[in-house]
Amino acid sequence: MDIVVEHRTVTTIVRITGSVDGLTADTLLATLQQQIDAGNIRLIGDLSDVSYTSSAGLRALLATVKHARQHGGDFRLAAVRPAVHKVLEMSGFTSILKMYDDVDLAVASFAA
Amino acid sequence: MTGERKRVALVIGAGSVKCAAALGLWKVLKREGIELDMVVGCSGGSLYATLMALGYDVDECEAMTIAMWNRKITSRRDYVSMLGAFLPKLFKFKGHFGMVNGEPLLRALELPFAGKTFADTIMPLYIVATELLSGHQATLSQGRIVDAVRASIAIPYIWSPWEVDGKLMLDGCLSAPLPVDVAIKEGADVILAMGFESPYPRKIRSATSYAFHVNSIYTNNLFRANYSFHNLAHHAEILPIVPEFGEPVNLFDTHKFAHVIACGERAAEEQVPYLRQLLGLGQQPSAQAT
Repeated sequence: MDIVVEHRTVTTIVRITGSVDGLTADTLLATLQQQIDAGNIRLIGDLSDVSYTSSAGLRALLATVKHARQHGGDFRLAAVRPAVHKVLEMSGFTSILKMYDDVDLAVASFAA
Repeated sequence: MTGERKRVALVIGAGSVKCAAALGLWKVLKREGIELDMVVGCSGGSLYATLMALGYDVDECEAMTIAMWNRKITSRRDYVSMLGAFLPKLFKFKGHFGMVNGEPLLRALELPFAGKTFADTIMPLYIVATELLSGHQATLSQGRIVDAVRASIAIPYIWSPWEVDGKLMLDGCLSAPLPVDVAIKEGADVILAMGFESPYPRKIRSATSYAFHVNSIYTNNLFRANYSFHNLAHHAEILPIVPEFGEPVNLFDTHKFAHVIACGERAAEEQVPYLRQLLGLGQQPSAQAT
């Protein structure tokens, strides 16, 4: 899994490539929490290159959402692939997470 | 998870003919030399979980399900039961009913399971049903296999509930459409979860299809609610294996078995590299050979 962090004016975009699973969840969670702890509380996860997520990956995403919201921000997802979207839907994540078709829409959502 | 060998469970949820996709998954596990420590089944999934646990090979399972699961099992109406339900003053209502006579189903289940008990399985097997009166999830792991499977597939309104250990049981999908919790409770680390949501019809054309539709709404929402919680509650890893069929697969579409099994195989193959890493198995056999 590769993680690239890009800071914009108000938001921080975390581009993830690969699988979000038991082998990568700890690294992803550490990166995301680091950003929140550094004050980058408006986070966007760009999942356009994420092909799979398992339960461990979902737990990392949930922990990030909770952490960001506790700090007054949010963690939103963009460009989620259909296979990953299906797992997020099965797991109830689509009812608690804000999701957007692309990164630009997710960025705009924080301005609204 | 520690460095000890991880216990692997396969959980096959409710889904009628779609559950045959588990045979495709099983082919992949066999090919990869990945052994299961337990298997859990619910409703249609209980058929495949049981066949696997009894040690039948993939081809035998396919042949047996074709022989078992066909329109003959719904060919006879249960008029006595329906009269009791719709004219209770004239014909005594017995507390439940099913529109279809359960005898052909029972005879079909006896083809592979007659005389078999849970003690005959080569790995732990858990079958999930639902207690009619309390609504509780029931995890069956001893006694006659025919009884457990018959109870687990007792689709409400279609077949009457079935008595196991003095309790009337209905379809497991009413309490746990994808019973990942059983695998968690029984100590599995890595859980392969093959689940299916019930499809919704484009149009509701009859009272029966309306009843099916309402039932699907309940069970689909239950499926998601349960799965959400289990994902968060498990200490290790749940791998969702959700085959894409690309076309509707209905209750008796047994002519689509080959397609369903192939879809299950494909969905499982996508997980193999990660699964092997997770289990510390190194490269795939095919990759090692090249």
